[in-house]
Amino acid sequence: MAACTKRLDRFIISLRLLRNLQLQNERFLSTSPCLRAAGNDSESPKFVPPSKPVIVDKTQTVASLRKFLSPEFIPPRQRTDPLKFSIERKDMIRRRKVLNIPEFYVGSILAVIMADPNASGKTNRFVGICIQRGGKGLGATFVLRNIINNQGVEICYELYSPRIQKIEVLKLEKRLDDNLMYLRDALPEYSTVDPEMKPVPFSPTGEVPVNKIKVRMRPKPWSKRWERPKFNIQGIRFDLSLTPEQMEHAQKWAQPWLEYDMLKEYDTSKLEEQIIKEVQQDMSK
Amino acid sequence: MAAWSCRFLLLRGTRVIPPRAPAERPALLVGCIRTVKTTTWFEENLTEDNQEYMRKSMAEEYRRQTAEKLNPLKDEPWPRHEWTEGSRRVGLVAMKLGMVPVWTKTGERHVVTMLQVQDCHVIKYLSKEEYDGHSAALVVGGKNVSPFHRSEKQMEIFRNAGVPPKQKVTAFKVSDSAIIKPGTPLYAAHFRPGQYVDVTGKSIGKGFQGVMKRWGFKGQPATHGQTKTHRRPGASGPGGDPAKVFKGKKMPGQMGNTYITAYGLKIWRVNTKYNVLYVNGSVPGHKNCLLKVRDTVLPNRRSTLLNPPFPTYFTEEDGDLDEDLYDDDLFVHTEPSLTLT
Repeated sequence: MAACTKRLDRFIISLRLLRNLQLQNERFLSTSPCLRAAGNDSESPKFVPPSKPVIVDKTQTVASLRKFLSPEFIPPRQRTDPLKFSIERKDMIRRRKVLNIPEFYVGSILAVIMADPNASGKTNRFVGICIQRGGKGLGATFVLRNIINNQGVEICYELYSPRIQKIEVLKLEKRLDDNLMYLRDALPEYSTVDPEMKPVPFSPTGEVPVNKIKVRMRPKPWSKRWERPKFNIQGIRFDLSLTPEQMEHAQKWAQPWLEYDMLKEYDTSKLEEQIIKEVQQDMSK
Repeated sequence: MAAWSCRFLLLRGTRVIPPRAPAERPALLVGCIRTVKTTTWFEENLTEDNQEYMRKSMAEEYRRQTAEKLNPLKDEPWPRHEWTEGSRRVGLVAMKLGMVPVWTKTGERHVVTMLQVQDCHVIKYLSKEEYDGHSAALVVGGKNVSPFHRSEKQMEIFRNAGVPPKQKVTAFKVSDSAIIKPGTPLYAAHFRPGQYVDVTGKSIGKGFQGVMKRWGFKGQPATHGQTKTHRRPGASGPGGDPAKVFKGKKMPGQMGNTYITAYGLKIWRVNTKYNVLYVNGSVPGHKNCLLKVRDTVLPNRRSTLLNPPFPTYFTEEDGDLDEDLYDDDLFVHTEPSLTLT
């Protein structure tokens, strides 16, 4: 019992000491007058209203802060005069100043509002998963896919078409592949998106999350032989639809020597940095 | 060390050459050599430094020449006339850059070809008698090139005009009121948005092709007892009565690599800073090829040519052009998105 009380005493003393230390520390460290006033109630009786709570609206998507260059800015490797691409880039930047084209990838879920003379209300909103990005320069396109009334629907949008009113990113993510055309042959649940979907908040910095989902396919025949090595598809569960013998058979069309073809290499990193700088300069003008 | 070895080599060279020369003489006498090579190269007797200097100074000179000619109106211009219906203006030599999409204000998409007018100058005036006896002509050249691969005769013409040598030189028929002094630079603003042009160029060569590719014949079926007859032309005409194959019968042969004119192409936009024309649709030729662009000859489209810059566009006369001239129907990317009604 005695030992207990002793321990308690010690504990209390140590606590007090600690508190003293803390207070001292606080005083020692605090530089703003506001904090000092809060610490000493007797000296300043003035009422300090509590700071307003900052309400973060997580339903609103914020503009991305990461360094991102849309792929259509990078010119293809060919013998065209670079002047052509720079003139095109100027037009693209002009359009981007009017219409906010957000950062998105193949696999992201987008909503596009487009002027349509045949739609009631003259605009048409379509929500879908982006399965492909194509084209360079002003002719860049992206394809959205959704399943509406058990019917697969794909719409190819031109990124710089003046009919596009708004592009919203509902869910920002990447997939294992750069082209999701195989969703046409996958079970419909993988390309079904709720048209009334609310935007999912994403972090404006850091890496873009990669959705590592692997889809199950409908039975063969498919629109293309996705198991062939030239497609190099990671996002399909081939083990469910193909036998190991069939998978091995598909390797017959592998061209492993192509990766050593130095003439096919196209290193765009330097070009990319240059274009990023140019685009950022022009966008801030 | 290097010097020593060089000298050694030289000595050996001099020693080796005399015995070789008589050895070659019999070969000459036999008559194996068909042609005597007389071409000389400008760098034959020049050291590397001098070559470098030569190239640089030539480039400098040409740049100066191109810049000087920016004001042809100042030094004794030729008499000018007013635009009248039916007069023919000079055309331009332009380079094909590539194709891009444009959109109209109604949301339609068109594909256009970008043509850049590079260092385009009037080089020579040919009077009616000199040209073909029917109309006068102006020789126009485009795109500066190296002078080292031009003959002296060609260089003389360029020197007379006071312009650098050009890669492509062509003649345009003009009416007598539209003649311009040689040496005058021509710009993309010579054409204005909304007007129609004809573009002539050399099409991409496809080689010797069969009738299916060249003329779109149907060929024959793949099976049903065909023997060695799948892509052949079939019959080439009636038999006994004419007893001949008519001239101009579509047959296999060289396809492409010929001059072709695309008529009546609309100009959607003109960039005056980079001298770029945006011409509707496709034009013959590959990328970076040089084309002839002139006012259209189509009678239905000539009415679009209302009060063009005549005889051409002079920078100092109406120099306050916008950077971009657009057609009235064209969507400009600085405008807000379209709302269709």
